[in-house]
Formats: sequence, C-alpha cells, structure tokens
Amino acid sequence: MPYAFMMLPVIYLAIFMFWPLGRQIWLSFTRTRLANPNRSEFIGLRNYERLFDNPDFYTALYVTVTYSLLAVLIGVAVGTVAALAMNRPFPGRTLVRAILLFGWAVPNVAAALIWLWIFNERSGVLNSIVTGLGLERITWLTSTDMALSSILLVTVWQVAPFVMLVMLAALQSVPQEVKEAARVDGADALNIFRAVTLPHVMPTLQLVSLLVAVWSIRRFDIIYLLTGGGPIGSTSTLIVKLRQVAFENHDLGLASAYGVIGLILALSVAAVHAAFNHHRQKGQS
Amino acid sequence: MAFSALARAALLSTVMALPLHAEEPVNLVISNSQWLDALRGEGLWNAVKAYEATAPGVTLESLGIPSKDYGDRLMTEFGAGKGPDIAIMQEGVFFALADAGLLVDVGAAVEGVSLNATKDNGIIDGVTLGVPWQRAAYALIYNADLVGAAGVAVPTTVPELIASAQGVQDKTGAIGFTSRHQISDFSGFYMDFQSWAYGHGVSWVDAEGKLTINTPEAAAAIAAFKQVYDAKIIPVGDDMPTQRTRFKEKQVGFSIDNSGGTLNIASGGAMESSRMKSAAMPFPHPGAHQQIYVAVNANSEHPEEAIAFLKWLVTPEAQAALRKASGPDALATDVPLDADFVAKNPWAPVFAELAQQSHSVLIPGYEVETTQIMRPVMEAVEEVLVTGITPEEALAKAQDKVDQMF
Repeated sequence: MPYAFMMLPVIYLAIFMFWPLGRQIWLSFTRTRLANPNRSEFIGLRNYERLFDNPDFYTALYVTVTYSLLAVLIGVAVGTVAALAMNRPFPGRTLVRAILLFGWAVPNVAAALIWLWIFNERSGVLNSIVTGLGLERITWLTSTDMALSSILLVTVWQVAPFVMLVMLAALQSVPQEVKEAARVDGADALNIFRAVTLPHVMPTLQLVSLLVAVWSIRRFDIIYLLTGGGPIGSTSTLIVKLRQVAFENHDLGLASAYGVIGLILALSVAAVHAAFNHHRQKGQS
Repeated sequence: MAFSALARAALLSTVMALPLHAEEPVNLVISNSQWLDALRGEGLWNAVKAYEATAPGVTLESLGIPSKDYGDRLMTEFGAGKGPDIAIMQEGVFFALADAGLLVDVGAAVEGVSLNATKDNGIIDGVTLGVPWQRAAYALIYNADLVGAAGVAVPTTVPELIASAQGVQDKTGAIGFTSRHQISDFSGFYMDFQSWAYGHGVSWVDAEGKLTINTPEAAAAIAAFKQVYDAKIIPVGDDMPTQRTRFKEKQVGFSIDNSGGTLNIASGGAMESSRMKSAAMPFPHPGAHQQIYVAVNANSEHPEEAIAFLKWLVTPEAQAALRKASGPDALATDVPLDADFVAKNPWAPVFAELAQQSHSVLIPGYEVETTQIMRPVMEAVEEVLVTGITPEEALAKAQDKVDQMF
C-alpha cells in the first residue's frame, strides 16, 4: 500500500524531472542544433573540451559562485536580523511584516522593471538621492564596478523577506521555558541567543541557506532583464551563458554542458549541506 | 467481421452525405511580433485580414509574440515540429530556419511578379523561401522645434552630431541624442551598431569570405561611437523603448533609428509627426537596414493555402493596403509613399531613399552565424565604452574569439 501511494510522485518526478534532466545530460555529449533538436550527433566529451578551453566559461563560473555566495551571506544575514527584529512585539508589527514581505511577493519580471526604474541613471530614485547629496551620478547597471552589486541588491531585496518569514517561524518555535530557565540562571540576552536560540534555529538556517544558494545558482530572469550578463560579462552567470549559447549560437549541445556544470554546482552545495547535517546529527547522538 | 462491415457501411453513408466539392475550412496561424505594436499592429493585421474576403473558407488567426522572445520562440517551436503556419520574421531568424530546412519553397507565390531588391536574401541557393514583408532602413531623425530653438545645424559628421546635440542640451535642457548602448539589449544593439560600422566602411568579411573583425574601419566606427558616448549626450541606462518615449514627449533632439521605430515615435505622442524631420546619417557611407520576410513553416498542415496567401500578399491591392500600415518601410514591390502620408510625415521619404543603398544587418556568407559573430564584436564595443581600452585592443580580442569559432 505505501508503494502505491509513492508511485504517483515517483511517476511525476520521472516524467517532469528525471527525463528532462537525463535528456540534458545526454545532449551535452552531442552536437545538436536548436532548430533540429531531434537530429543529434554523439561527440563524446567534445562540448566539455570546448567549455574548458573557453575563458568565458571560467568568468561565468566565477561570477556564479561569487554571486551565489554573496546572495546567501547577505540575504540570510539580512533576513535573519529582520526576523529577530520582527520576533519582538511592537506596535504596528503586522503592518511592518507585510511591508517587508513585498519584495518576495512581487513577480520577478515586475521586480526587474521596478528596479530598472530605480537604477535609471538619469531619472532613477537612487541617483536622485545621490545627486541630492552633492555626489556624482552612479552608473548602477552599466559599469563593471557596480553591476554585480546592483544585481545583488535586488536579489537580497527579494530573498531576505523569504528568509525572514522562515526564520521567524523557527524563532517563534523556541521553547520559552528554556529561555526563562537560562534567564533565571543569570544569562544575558546575547548568551541566551548563543546558547538557546541559535542551536534551535540552526537546522532552519542551514536549510534556508541551501535553498537561497540553489536559487542563486539557477537565477536567470532578474540578471537577464537588468543587465543581460553585461557589462563585459561582469554579471554573466552560467545560466545567462547557457541562454546565450542556446539561442544566439543555436548550440544546444554546448548549452547543455553549461547546464550540467550548473547542476554539479547545485548538487555540490546540497552535498555540503548533507555533510553538515550528518556531522551535526552524529554530534548529537 | 460483422463490426468491420458495419463500420464500412457507416463510413460510406457519411461520405455519401457530404456535398460533392466540400471544402474543409482552413485556419492559418500567422505569427508576428508587430501584431503587438500599440499603434501600427492593428493596421498591419487589418491589411492582412483582408485576404479572408478573397479566400472563402480560410480564416487567418494572429499570433503576437513579444519581439524580445520572438526569435527564440520561433526557433524552439519550429525545431519541435510545431509553430504557426506562416511566420513574419527578421532576416536572422529566417536564415536560421532556412538552414535547418524548416521552411517551404514559396517560389510559386511570386512567379511572374516583379519584386524589388528586397527579395534577394529571401532566395537561398536558388530557392525562394521567403517573401519580403518590410525593410526598415536607418536614418538620423530630429525634433525640428528643439533644433530650431537651439539654433544648431543638422549634422553631417560625427563631430557635428556631438556639437549639435550638446547645443540642444545646453540651450533647451532636452536630451541631445538617443541610441542603444547596452549589451542587455544585445539583439537591437548589434543591429543598430551595424549602421555605425557600415557607415564607416566596415565589411565584416573580405573578398575570400574570411571574417575580418579587427580592421581600421571597425576601429574608426567604435571610436566614433565612443566619442558620442563620452560626450554625455546619451541618456545612459535608458532602454530603447524609454528613449523613444522621451523623443515622443519632445525631450530629445536627435536620434538614429530605423523606420519602424521612427513610425512608433511619430505616432501617439506629444510631438506632432510633422515636427519631426530626418536626414542621412552623419557617416561617409550608407548604413544598415533590417529586413523582414514572410515564410511558410514546413510543419504546416496547410502549405498550399499558406502559399496562396503569399501569392495574394504580393498583389497590388494587398501591397497598397500594407503600404498604408507600414509607414515608409520598403515593401516587396515598389509602392510609392502616399502623398497624404508624406504631408503629415515629412521625415518618411528620406527613409525610403536610404533603403535603396543600405546593407543587410547580416554578414554575407555568415547569415546564420551573424548573431554569434556580433556577440564578441559588441562586447568589444562595450569594453571600449566602459573601460576605455582602445578599439584596436578590443577588436583584437574579438577577432581571436571569432577565429576560435570558425
């Protein structure tokens, strides 16, 4: 009986996940044109050789790792701090929480359009503030110094509310009697957080970090709409390169190889998370 | 046995019940990004829809796809054995689909019809795979009121363009010049930049058909664009739709745009179309054009009907109807601009004139690979704009990348 119940999700995953994934891995070993996807020629590791011979690939890999790492660190930190703030009762807390969730609720394309307007060098809100302070206008999306930071700012704006929501749920599940006992034992707020709250919310923090990392590795729409991977490849992640190779060069084989590398990267993050979990559980037993 | 006899009888009675020359109603799906154009989309569709009156039993269905996704979607759908019956597409997509053998020979549609030079790239290896829809040439356009108020001349060189645009900016507070300048709009950026390249005498291939990216002409084109970019006359960061809207709202002095974009600017804004003027681009050589073709999908279940539609499309009546909705774009046949239209849109004739000498945005012999080749070229342009390295250095890198590709 349990197997019968399991069949439905297994069939679903097989059709909608494992088959496309398997097909992508297979395509990465073939020469396949976008306009003739059913006419593939097996070429072994040739696409991977082309990939590793191309300096653009290493740039894209570096950008992907940097962007994902910073998105996790900043997004999780901001979200967690916001959750700690929201965990304390104050007047209008519900309203503030709703406002803070805005970034997460807005669809990606709409968010990109909003931020394009905010970043506009001539009439954008940010540069109005900057010039109001008597400073030079900043080229948010068109300079190599600022483009990735601008993309990160948008990412954090989108990710932090989600982190806040999840962490808030975790914080509210911390047993009050344990905190009270620590307080009676003379622990101050910082020590209570370190010794009681943090160990309790750590699994949630790890899980949310994993989710943000995987989302960042495969994030496409915001980057594509804001910068298209530019300027000079400074925001060109693996997934942006994948799109470029598939739809500009019509090379599905090489694009699939980019996809496989992205997949390996995401699986590596998941493996690190699993190792952490395993280590923690061993420590507890 | 009894069942099959019963089935045969049922089938026979059904066939007998049908009229002798019953014509199955046919639905032809026609895709075009222009159907979504706020101002001319409806006019273009109505011009096409007139076909239904001449072909009983045929219904035309429009499929509008945003231009940013149009090529990707068409390539994906055609490649998967699906897609619309008829597609109206930019030359680049047309060549890619033709190369994959996904288009139908439509020679029968244009037999005995005198088409103009716009037909040339629609014939591949002697087979007509596309019928010309529109050709949008590039020109310099300007707001006559702002230019007059600033007391500046219509430029004929790049330094004059910078001076005139700065004059407009200083004396009126408007934006001096608009142009695509960001890689995030790669497809439009590379097509627009071809006018700068061709205008400075660039040929991306030599006589032997070898790709020549790093040339003095290309360096001159990039240097000229860099001068304009550095002159702070472009609203850096604005995408093209925003820049066109600014022009509509009388906030821009000069721009270089194609006739389709210009028609968009001239329609439905604060600026009256009669107050917009045009001139040849401030370059020594002719610029580029965007050519659009109509083609029939090899996956279509109604290729004959689709070809019949194309046959109608090149008739004088259809071309005249298309002219009304197409502004100054060159069509498949030489339909003169309507006198009333010219009176209301004095900028139009220059475009029609420039379309006679302009070059395709595609690289001859590398039509399918043009986008792939232009990526490193445009990255070189971007690198010069952003980091200030010399055009020669940037183009040398681009040449290396292109040499590795081919």
